[in-house]
Amino acid sequence: METKTKRPSTPSPSAKPRNTRIARRDLLKTMGLAPAALLPLSALTASAASVASPTPASSPAPRLKVLNPHEFATVTVLSDWILPADERSSSASQAGVPAFIDDWLDFQGGREGFLSDELRGGLTWLDLESNRLHGHDFIACSRLQQQSLLDRIAWPDRADPAESHAVAFFSRLRDLVLGGFYSSPEGVKDLPYLGNKMIPVWTGGAPPEVLQKLGVTNEEAEYQKWFRRRQAEGHWVQQWYYQGK
Amino acid sequence: MARAFFISRECPYLNRKTTRGMCYSAAFGACRAYAQARDGNAFSFMAHTHVPQKYDVVIIGSGAGGGMAAYILTRAGARCLMLEAGDWFDTARDSKMMMWPWQAPHRGAATPAKPFGYFDGCVGGWQVPGEPYTVATGEQFMWWRGRMLGGRTNHWGRIALRWGPYDFKPYSRDGLGFDWPFPYEEMAPYYSKTEKLIGVFGSHENMENAPDGEFLPPPKPRAHELLIQRAARKLTLPCIPSRLSILTQSIHGRPACGYCGQCGRGCATSSNFSSPTVLLPPALATGRLEIRTGAMAREILTGPDGNATGVSYIDKKTRKEVTVRARVVVVAASACESARLLLNSQSSRHPDGLANSSGIVGKYLMDTVGSDVGGYVPDLSGLPPFNEDGVGGMHVYLPWGNYDKQLRHELDFPRGYHIEPGGGRGMPGPHSFGGMHDGYGVRLKQEARRGFGAGVGFSGRGEMIPNENCYCEIDRSVVDEWGIPVLKFHWKWSDYEINMARHMQQTFEELIVTMGGKVTYKSPGPHWGISRGGEIIHEVGTVRCGNDRRTSPLNSWCQSWECKNLFVTDGAPLVSNADKNPTLTILALAWRTSENIARMMRRKEV
Repeated sequence: METKTKRPSTPSPSAKPRNTRIARRDLLKTMGLAPAALLPLSALTASAASVASPTPASSPAPRLKVLNPHEFATVTVLSDWILPADERSSSASQAGVPAFIDDWLDFQGGREGFLSDELRGGLTWLDLESNRLHGHDFIACSRLQQQSLLDRIAWPDRADPAESHAVAFFSRLRDLVLGGFYSSPEGVKDLPYLGNKMIPVWTGGAPPEVLQKLGVTNEEAEYQKWFRRRQAEGHWVQQWYYQGK
Repeated sequence: MARAFFISRECPYLNRKTTRGMCYSAAFGACRAYAQARDGNAFSFMAHTHVPQKYDVVIIGSGAGGGMAAYILTRAGARCLMLEAGDWFDTARDSKMMMWPWQAPHRGAATPAKPFGYFDGCVGGWQVPGEPYTVATGEQFMWWRGRMLGGRTNHWGRIALRWGPYDFKPYSRDGLGFDWPFPYEEMAPYYSKTEKLIGVFGSHENMENAPDGEFLPPPKPRAHELLIQRAARKLTLPCIPSRLSILTQSIHGRPACGYCGQCGRGCATSSNFSSPTVLLPPALATGRLEIRTGAMAREILTGPDGNATGVSYIDKKTRKEVTVRARVVVVAASACESARLLLNSQSSRHPDGLANSSGIVGKYLMDTVGSDVGGYVPDLSGLPPFNEDGVGGMHVYLPWGNYDKQLRHELDFPRGYHIEPGGGRGMPGPHSFGGMHDGYGVRLKQEARRGFGAGVGFSGRGEMIPNENCYCEIDRSVVDEWGIPVLKFHWKWSDYEINMARHMQQTFEELIVTMGGKVTYKSPGPHWGISRGGEIIHEVGTVRCGNDRRTSPLNSWCQSWECKNLFVTDGAPLVSNADKNPTLTILALAWRTSENIARMMRRKEV
């Protein structure tokens, strides 16, 4: 019944630096397949911090399932346009987003799937448009040329309606890049998401200064006071038989 | 606080405090019996022995209804055999709690085999390989099957709302649907006993049709839930602490919640309710329960007097038919599966299927009306980070409060719905940021970061009026891989439900706007994003109970009128489907039915 674990790549044993990555990946694989409960809690909570970002952009492309190498390269460039590195976290491609997208297209219907059509069709449109304007594929264009093209399709509200299909493609890609990045160890640290652990006492989550900023420090008590008053005034007091049956 | 139960995987019960409820030896017995039954040591030889054995009771199904029947009947002294079509499931061993998205295939995304994602604690779904069903042309219905020990109690939302006085007499109130054969007052003590056994948190609010129960203290609301309360106050909507079967205090040797928010993955510490963690261990500890998994019930066998003599099932491993004999048969296979089993149990004594001289079995199938709206609330963006996983579900909910408007005929639909809010800084997944942002670059990254936790969502869960167009019947042109004819579903929402979905979407939009947010998502499809039949997984009502054998297959004790030793304890006997999620009512009703079975067995009436 369980979804089968598909491996995104079979790394070649020759490249030295990849070996350490294999070990890490194998660890991940083991953790992914073993019931989480078998592992000590500390190992699980620590894993977010200790797992380094896989697949730097420069590494040889993994074995692809749906995208061809050119499409994969274009997705890699686009991923980093969408989520570049900044002072807090790595870029999307450094966090392994292009491989995530290839795998996503594969399990969402593969090459015949609607999603693949939309995404690969969009990549083709980008190249067509780049060639028409600049005489190069998108990835061979200068950053300025790339940027001016993306500016046409990145904001649905101000895009030319005649290019709405390209806008839809970019929106889909952006969602995939965001989803892939923020469900990776890099992304979780970037947000940061501080949960996925057992805590003995629940105090409400947000610290007092947050509640103060939101103006809801006393909301629980105020709501209850208001609720009781309304009840006393006869609101929400219902009639048994309202059609006399 | 150290949580020792993570170290011993073999036995969640050994590490439990045994201050109240279960004594230590009982807890140990439960553990041993549970582990042995799981691993097939103690009981498997019994399953393969050729000595014909007659059980007091055979229970078909191990979920809320079957689990409760086993709990009550074994404690009353009956020797019970439980048949489960799925495999063994042990949350302490099989739960995917504490896993990160990148440790799962496709970051834990939904697949046809796991419609709620890789981490979901339910084996099964709307499609089960080898077990098809058909749907009438041009109609839509989705049939969820939980194929595992405990059925769908493993992944339900733990929303444990008592039904109120109105919910048991709906026809008397508005002339629609059907009344139950007994009032709320009859059910109230069973609700109380159930709540004390399984553990439900909540607050006493004294609302007329949302009765208070035996509650553990509720957890404090999260930040966005406080904003929702404030918006509800402005819109004069009731918004009170939710009522979930999650332990905010340790009871019966089960530890309190660890607030990881992952109830849906199956709780490895048994801190929420599921049948295999709460009902089956004490039943096994009596030594009077045998569980056979991989047992697909095919037919209920009857004798010349028309009463049940036992059950024929297919052992999925060997694909062979096995027959078991019993004094009493309890059917708790889930509403539709129970109807299918009865309809497929034809004989010369029961030509239309068992318990079906009324022709009602399979009829008046109900689900819950669902519709969702999501939004983005800027006030919640850019907050400093904090952990607000909390319990696995909402800490506040909005019960139905518009009875006065209905009294004044201001609404174009009867009955009501409750609202389940969502939001907060939960574990991000591959869909967490979909559709929320535009642009690209460093600014997008900053916005996504700022917007984490600023999304809110509202799901309506409303009452459907049973109608003639929603039913299931046997489709003899298709069989499953066990050779059993499958169900064919018919489904049509009436205007009542569609109008209710419109009211839901309008209300949710108002809530989001009142919170200062903007709507980013509405459940798609025609008719205000109303859910498809079966999508909310609250199917009930195919074998209803009643006072008249001409209009109900079961009497008021959920006993077949014409097959005296046949009882139904799952969602099938439910006469209506109030907006309150049905599990607590199934549990309480199963308790009442099982207590009566024990009484009748003692008096030799069955």
